[in-house]
Amino acid sequence: MSIIELNHLNKTFDYYTKTPGIKGSLKNLFHRETLKKEAVKDVSFAVEEGEILGLLGPNGAGKTTTLKMLSGILFPTSGHAVVNGYIPWERKNEFKRTFSIVMGQKNQLWWDLPASDSFYLNKCIYEIPDADYRRCIDELSGLLDVRDLMDVQVRRLSLGERMKMEIMAALIHRPRIIFLDEPTIGLDIVSQRKIREFLKYYNEQTKTTIILTSHYMRDVEELCRRCVIINQGSVVYNGELADINRLFGNKKLLSIKMSRPAAREDLERYGRLREYAPNAATLEIEHDKIADYSHKLIEQFAVVDFTVTDIPLEEGIEIFYRKEQQVSLVTP
Amino acid sequence: MKRLKYYLKLLLLFIRFSLMAQMEYRLNFVSSLLVEIGYLLVKLSYVAVIYSTGVTIGGMTPDQIVIFIGSYILMTGLYMFFIPSFYAISGNVREGRLDMLIVKPLSLQFIMTLQRFDFGMPIPNVTGGLILICMCWSRAGLTVSFTHIAGFILFTLTGVFLTYCMFLIPKLLSFWFVSTSGISQMTDALWDFNNMPMNLYSNWIQKLGTFIIPIFVITNFPGLCAMDRLTPGYAAWGLAVPFLAFALQRAVFKRAVRHYTSASS
Amino acid sequence: MNKYKCTFLLGLEESLEYRVNFALSLISTFFPIVIQTFLWTRIYNSPDAVIDNGYTYPQIILYSLLAGMVSKLVSTGFEYEVNLDIKEGGLNKYLIRPVSYLRYRLSAFLGKKVPAAGILCAAIAAAIIVAVTALSMSLTLSRVVLFAAALCLALLLNFIIFYCISMAGFWLTEIEKLYGTISIVLVVLSGGVFPLDIFGSLAARISVILPFSYTTQFPVNIVNGKLSMTEILTGMLVQAAWITALFILARILWNKGIRRYISAGG
Repeated sequence: MSIIELNHLNKTFDYYTKTPGIKGSLKNLFHRETLKKEAVKDVSFAVEEGEILGLLGPNGAGKTTTLKMLSGILFPTSGHAVVNGYIPWERKNEFKRTFSIVMGQKNQLWWDLPASDSFYLNKCIYEIPDADYRRCIDELSGLLDVRDLMDVQVRRLSLGERMKMEIMAALIHRPRIIFLDEPTIGLDIVSQRKIREFLKYYNEQTKTTIILTSHYMRDVEELCRRCVIINQGSVVYNGELADINRLFGNKKLLSIKMSRPAAREDLERYGRLREYAPNAATLEIEHDKIADYSHKLIEQFAVVDFTVTDIPLEEGIEIFYRKEQQVSLVTP
Repeated sequence: MKRLKYYLKLLLLFIRFSLMAQMEYRLNFVSSLLVEIGYLLVKLSYVAVIYSTGVTIGGMTPDQIVIFIGSYILMTGLYMFFIPSFYAISGNVREGRLDMLIVKPLSLQFIMTLQRFDFGMPIPNVTGGLILICMCWSRAGLTVSFTHIAGFILFTLTGVFLTYCMFLIPKLLSFWFVSTSGISQMTDALWDFNNMPMNLYSNWIQKLGTFIIPIFVITNFPGLCAMDRLTPGYAAWGLAVPFLAFALQRAVFKRAVRHYTSASS
Repeated sequence: MNKYKCTFLLGLEESLEYRVNFALSLISTFFPIVIQTFLWTRIYNSPDAVIDNGYTYPQIILYSLLAGMVSKLVSTGFEYEVNLDIKEGGLNKYLIRPVSYLRYRLSAFLGKKVPAAGILCAAIAAAIIVAVTALSMSLTLSRVVLFAAALCLALLLNFIIFYCISMAGFWLTEIEKLYGTISIVLVVLSGGVFPLDIFGSLAARISVILPFSYTTQFPVNIVNGKLSMTEILTGMLVQAAWITALFILARILWNKGIRRYISAGG
């Protein structure tokens, strides 16, 4: 049984346009044109208990809208979803106690007060017993390394520290499900890594189910085994992260450095040449030919350094990000 | 009962937090206090006109009239106590901060409308209003009996509740419109009709302001009750109308939230 | 002139943008008028009321009708923007361009004023016509013309008053916190609620000395027939004198302020 299930979820928004300039303003005074935008189109997927699912897609693809529907903030235009046995948009209090949502762009902490006050407020809202609350704060502040920042006003914290506090505030009621909408946006690399490590540890310890959206591939690579990619509102991929590149020909990248220059044409015989300098080259080579070709390369050229790497995940995902647009060009 | 205690505890917490947050910006605090003293000046200029001309309204002496102005000033201060949450509504809706409130396991209206309180603006009004009321109560020679004072306080409290319900409704329009400061300005200007006792106005305005848009109930009924001028029928209406307004306001609120959850992005 | 025209048009567009808002904020101007009309009618009809304020019933009614609208007509709001420009370095873009900040502010102020002014002027005209016919007042064309001229001067005067006030932002960055109080107190002092001279001779004398009553009370008292022709002409000279004096003051304040602004690093 999956803990989260989406079935043919759709969401359409109305919006208005305004032509620039004074003429536009005058025209708007009397008449506004309504346009429809399909933010989410026929989205279906499921998440297993304890899993961290990556929800990927370019800006405006419908990730946040999907998360908002799963948290009951938005009604879908049509379709079904079940989260932990509840229909999210019925917004039952029992349901709300079982999940949390953290949005990188929005905060729930009181800006002018220390984070500890906001935590206490959440304790009261979620009716957490004192002992549980103290234990939880103690544990989380240790893990996130924010113990000495608890009594500093939120507005004086750095972006990274604030995000850690936001995450803490979201975990006080020990949710079974967490929706994380770009939790690392705008953070420096150290803060990003800290938050990543925390989420990984927390997920392993508590078996909390997480849906994560992020534009940073490191977040996704380190946290998620499986991902769903949506583009222009539709699911374009749903499966193992590791399988993405396999879909585009099971290739690897072979980089060599040589003591003597090699000719472009000689190298190109082994595979597509991605990078080329007289003394160095990167080749795209079929997975099963790696062993064979590497011998031949070493024999033929004066190879001094030699590495085999996977094709970066971004590349596979990028294809999905563009794919739908090309399709939609053909079928408007 | 347990639920009531839960909400009461949270309410006290919000009031405490608001005070603490406001103390972070002492200058703003002083500034809003001064602005209200400015507005108090405007309201007192009506008092000056009343006393300088010695006018009587509906058989009421200037001292009695000023009790109504005092009630109006007091009630303005009480309204300002919870006004920050009201004014935050349009921003919360526009910038999507409501999202973080919707997911909390408690009444959305409670957390949305009773989260922020102001302490600077009420001070001049509540103090000024109370001084005027007490001063004129004795000058007008009104009886100081338990029932009169209790009646005054009762209708003041129902007035506060009615204010909350009535003045929340226009603020909720920000769920549908981008800019609602005009609507706020208009309804707040409507509020100023209470600057004078309702007897001043023509009969149909009195009826309109009592039964259709019951703003007169808010600041006139305490004074009328204290002066034994409230008929039983009016008294009953004064106690019933807060409940009607509450029901209406709930209905609008529910529609507003439904609109938000289906139309916002 | 073109750049100021452009600023003017942008201000105009900004005002038109929020349609419902704009219409409703104008409606709110009319409520205090209703309250005051009822109050004065009651006072002048009351047998026990003592009236020795120098206004006849038609005069005070027309005053109540117009004071709120005139006050709204001359009201400003740019002082917050000036403060923000000073505080957050927005002034830099005016310093490097060949524009005068004062003229820029004046153009934007007038541009934003147009939609409201159009409707307010129509409402003022309607109020005058209704009052004159209903209260059978006598009104000469010359008074109307003088009223219009005094209004233009009042608009300019109120602009320059608030411009001078906003110059304080160079020295006191938190002055914006006081703007709300200042503007409401000035509305009272300019006779935007009640004419000041009804509160006794001291109040009347103060109102003559200070520039504020020339933004509201003075123009309104032209059209309601309270002032004599000599008083009107003297008053307009006083208006012009205040405008000139305050323009000079504004220049001085700006020069001092901008020196401070630049030395502080912008």
